[in-house]
Order: sequence, then structure tokens, then C-alpha cells
Amino acid sequence: MSLSLEATEEYILLIEFVHKHLDFHNAELHSILEMHGVQIGTDCLIRELPIAGRTSEFRRPFKILSFPWSSIGCKFCLDDCDDDAKRKKCTNLVSAFSRCTLIRGVLELWGAGPTIDDCVESIRSGYYPRRHQEGKHLGSGDGAKKFEERTWSILVHTLGSTYTREEQNDMRSAFSFMNFPGRVQMKDPDDEYLFIREVELDGQGGAVYPRHSGINKQIIPENDARPPLACYFGRVLGNNGLGRNWRGSNRIEQYSLKKRCYLGPTSMDSELSLIMTNLAQIQPCGSFVFDPFVGTGSILLTAALRGAFCFGTDIDLRVLRGRNHNENISSNFKQYNLKPPELVRSDNAIYHRHFRSHLPLFDAIVTDPPYGIRAGARKSGSRKCGEVRPISDEHRYDHVAQTRPYAVSDVMSDLLNVAAMTLKMGGRLVYVIPSMSDFDERMDLPQHECLRLDYVCYQPLQTEYGRRTVTMKKVKEYDEKKRSQYLENTWINGAESAEKVANIRERLIETAKTKPGYEEKALRRKATRKATKEAKKKAKREAAAIDAASKSECL
Amino acid sequence: MRLLTHNFLRSNVKGTENGYPLIIEVTTVRCEESPVDKEFLLGLIPKVDYSALRSAVRHMGPHCDPPLPDLPEVLPSAVGDVPSLDDATISILHRVLFDVYLVEGYLVCPDTGRKFPVKDGIPNMILHEDEI
Repeated sequence: MSLSLEATEEYILLIEFVHKHLDFHNAELHSILEMHGVQIGTDCLIRELPIAGRTSEFRRPFKILSFPWSSIGCKFCLDDCDDDAKRKKCTNLVSAFSRCTLIRGVLELWGAGPTIDDCVESIRSGYYPRRHQEGKHLGSGDGAKKFEERTWSILVHTLGSTYTREEQNDMRSAFSFMNFPGRVQMKDPDDEYLFIREVELDGQGGAVYPRHSGINKQIIPENDARPPLACYFGRVLGNNGLGRNWRGSNRIEQYSLKKRCYLGPTSMDSELSLIMTNLAQIQPCGSFVFDPFVGTGSILLTAALRGAFCFGTDIDLRVLRGRNHNENISSNFKQYNLKPPELVRSDNAIYHRHFRSHLPLFDAIVTDPPYGIRAGARKSGSRKCGEVRPISDEHRYDHVAQTRPYAVSDVMSDLLNVAAMTLKMGGRLVYVIPSMSDFDERMDLPQHECLRLDYVCYQPLQTEYGRRTVTMKKVKEYDEKKRSQYLENTWINGAESAEKVANIRERLIETAKTKPGYEEKALRRKATRKATKEAKKKAKREAAAIDAASKSECL
Repeated sequence: MRLLTHNFLRSNVKGTENGYPLIIEVTTVRCEESPVDKEFLLGLIPKVDYSALRSAVRHMGPHCDPPLPDLPEVLPSAVGDVPSLDDATISILHRVLFDVYLVEGYLVCPDTGRKFPVKDGIPNMILHEDEI
């Protein structure tokens, strides 16, 4: 079955995702579309992907969206720059999509089908070539050249398999019937057309039935003969700024943690934090974002990149202050030329006592709470329960405040309650929660009467263990009188659910211990650790000796 | 610490009634100009405690270069949720809320006199174990 193109009033887009964070594709796209005022179901519809007579249990990195043709050019436009869209007060779909971290590129879909012939046929019977000639959707202004003058090229994209240049030329020639009048130009053409041949991909993005064998690079005949899952042909959108690989041109690389001066063991990787800022719907200007467990500020930094004004608190003064004046949270912000964040050392367990008002203040709370896997949570209080020694006045200012362990179940109930209290209506809480395979999304996630669960995205890390990114939205006014009730009702299953996220570190070690060869590995690691330590000590001793020798020489 | 943050912080020592607004003891300040985001500012104004902001400006003002001007006694009344302010007032409010930082100094609880140190621009509001 080829894509139905009878309804002439449609405008169809093919979205290609990166084969990464598969569970986040939908949530990120929906969240960004909603933020730009595009309602799925009324403004656009999601269409079934074409498929070649078989079912695929694998996730496909494509999605087809269909907009009413009448809305293109008035409600929505597809310009490469935003100025035109702002003037016309319409939503620029290209800039909306380009904010999605996981979108690789978007095509204006001219034809699709199970085979290349179906694809050609659907272009012939479709209305895209004519529409392109008329060019209503190509915008006005300098960027929009006349059809006859537009330079063009056709590229071939065969995901998961390699084809030689000659084979690619054969595929390309199937589309030569379109006879574009403009000049062919391979580098930066006005219109870039793309033919995509989709095959089954596994979770890592490799072909399930690879064309070439991995060892001697020979063609595997039965896999080579396998028909593709689907074929697509279309015009690449955003060609004058983004090119085919949107992700590459958005240069996510430059925000990589590797490029930052100040890092900690729990810094959040830039890709996931960029996705989190999208789930949180942080606006290009005027969003106020809070992270109550700011740590090295890695999440706030990406929020600031999106244009937010940032506020962060943590109980650990050392991470807030950083190593020195050139290695701290503010220096990371300076590196990217961002407004410095506001940092306060305070305790999220008693947020309501540190801050004056319970006014809804923040547009979003984005955070990675401490779960005791890499960093244990602490809260204010005496180390030994019930034993509080008064501090004399002369020691008051030098005194190092004691902290005590902060149970994960309390971390979560306090976080949700602070979010319910301080978020603006409609504001979003996005946080990360680790879990083992026994975790049940419906029963075990913490809940709050004022917060509605919007998305849960799972990211597998090991076979048994992964983490979920949870997005909640404030839908109800917070009532301070019901505080204790809110806190009590956080866990549906009571302590049992809390237990599941609490001792992950211990449980990971437990499972590791049952694996064969654990003992030897542990011994070997211990020996290496000891050796490194000794070597360091020795180097230090030697350095001291040399130092002393040079000093005595001077004398 | 900007004065915006000061506006939301309060002392939380055991036995404090109100603990607000905190008195600022200035050692060092820093001024750094930033572009005015009018919409963001107007959204925040209704949540700012204006009299606390005025007293903070009085504490910080003489230490800034150029000194901060005194804020008008009352702000023009709001129309609906958004206050109606002229551009001059907006730029003053922007400067005092976003562009002046307390780098070193103390925040002092008005009720108990407990001093919270501010170092490298980060206020340390953590309580000692006998104050909780």
C-alpha cells in the first residue's frame, strides 16, 4: 500500500530521528510541538508509516505528520529564518522541529511506498511537483527563488547498509523523470532531494539483516535480496541553514561535557539535559528555571542555553563554589556567554523555611535528584539522632554544620511537594529516576495531587538497570494546609515503592556479585587501586626529597 | 547573589517569627550590566516584596558604582496582573534586581541576629544542628 495522496489538501512531512534514546522520540516531539502551539489531532495528524507486507516489531526512526495544506503559509510556515515568521505571526515549523535534539532531519514527503517503484508511482500521481512549481509554501523574500532558477541535487540515504556509488546512481536515476529545469549543484543547492531506503534496525541502529558480513565485508546474498521495509522520497527542509543533518548542524557536540572546565561525577550528559529542557518546554526568553539539586550545574547550563534565567540550590557548598575562580559553575556559564545563575546553599528538605513565599515562581524545575548511586543525599540535622550539642557563640561562624542521610523516599516526596508549591500553573517538573527491572511505572512512581504525569521515558543502562526521565505538569493549585497529606500520599504502594528506588547501589553490587568471575575481578581491581595509591605516595615522597635537597643547596 | 534572590530568602533559625527581610552587611559588591528582558521583569514584579527590595537597595546602594538611586516609595498600581511601568522605572528595577551582586558579606536575621555568610556570591543558608 502506498501512501494515500488522494486528499489534495494535505501537506505531509517525514521526520527522521536519530537512532538513540528511542523512548524519548515521541515525548520530545510532542512536547516541542505543544510548546509551539501545534496540536496533534487538530493542527496535524500522525500517519501510519508505509510498510512492505510484513510487520516489524522493531522501533522505526520515522514519523509522518500531515498538515492541512490550507494552514501552510498562514498558520504555519517553513522558512529558514525566523524573521519572516515573526512578521507574519505564524509558527515556523522548521525552527520548531530543529529544536528537537533527537530529530536528524525533516523531509517534505513527495512520495513513499514499500519499494522504489511504488515511491516513484506515488510521486507521479501526487501533487508535490506541481505544488513546488507554484511555490506558495517556499516563502517570499530573497530566499525564495523562482522554480526555473532553483539549483538542486538528489542524495541517497540507505540506513544500516552500504551501497556503492554506481548502485546509488541507479537508485537516483529512478527519479530523473522529474526533469527539474534548474542547474544541478551538489554543494548547498536551493533544493536538496533525498531518497531514503529503510530496513529493519535493531536497538543500536545497526541493520537486523546486514547487507555485508561483518568479518570479510562480503555481500550476504539472502540479506541483499531482502526488499526494503519502506522507501521515501522528498525535499529536505531547512536546507539553507541546517542541511540534511540537522543534528550535526545544531552542533550538539559543542555543548558536550568534555568541553567544560568544571565537572563532577554526577554531571548530566549534555544530550539528555538538552532533551530535558525540551520536555520542560523552556521558552527562548523569560523562563525561570530551578534546580534544587544543582551540583555542578550541568542541567541548568543547558536550560540557560535555551534562554532561561536559572536558579539553583544544593546542600553541598564545595560543588557550588567549585575548585577555584576559573573552575566553577559560573565559569562554565561564562564559557558559553550565558547570564550567570543564582546559587544558594540551602536544604531542599526544608525549602519552605529557607524561602519567603510559596508563590508560584518557576516556569520549570529540571533536576537529577541524588539517589545514592554516585552521590548520597544529605539533609540538615545532627549526625546522631536526638543528640544535639549546643554550639557556643564564639564557634558559631566557624562551625561546620552537620548533615545526616536523607532517605530517597523523602527526597522524592519533598521534591514533588516543592514543585507543586513553587511551579506556575502549567509549569513542568522534569526529573530523572533510576530503576531496576522490577519497577512498575504505574504503581511505583511518586505522585502528587497537584501534578499530572505527562511522559515517562525509559533509558536502558544495563540489562537489569536503567533510568526514567519523568515529566509532570502542575494542574492544580497548591494548598499549604494539605501539606502533610500530600507528603503521605507520594507513594501508592507505600514503603515498598520507595524501597525500589532507594537501595539501587546495593542491589547493583548484589547482582554483580552473582556473576561468574566477580571475586577475581574484585581482587584484581583492589590490587590495581593499591598499586596506584603506592605509586602516588612514592612520587610525592620523591618530589618532597628533591624539594628539600634543592633548598639545602640554596642555603 | 542578586537582589532578586535576596527578596525571596529568609532566615529560618529555630524561634524566628518572621526572619524577613534579611539585613545586608556589604563587604564587596559587583555590578554587571545585562540586557533588559521586559516581559520577564513584569512577570516577576507582582511576586517581589517591594518594601524589602527598597530596604535592600538602601543597604547596597552606596557600595555600587554609580550608587543605586532610591526606588520610588510605591509602584504605580497594577492593571490586572501586569504593573504599568514607564521605561525609566523598568530600567531601574532591572538594574537593582539583576545587575548588582553581593559578592562577599553577610545576611543578618532581623529577629535573632544570626549572620549567614555570603562568599563568592553564594549565600550559605544552611542551619547548624542546634538551630533546626
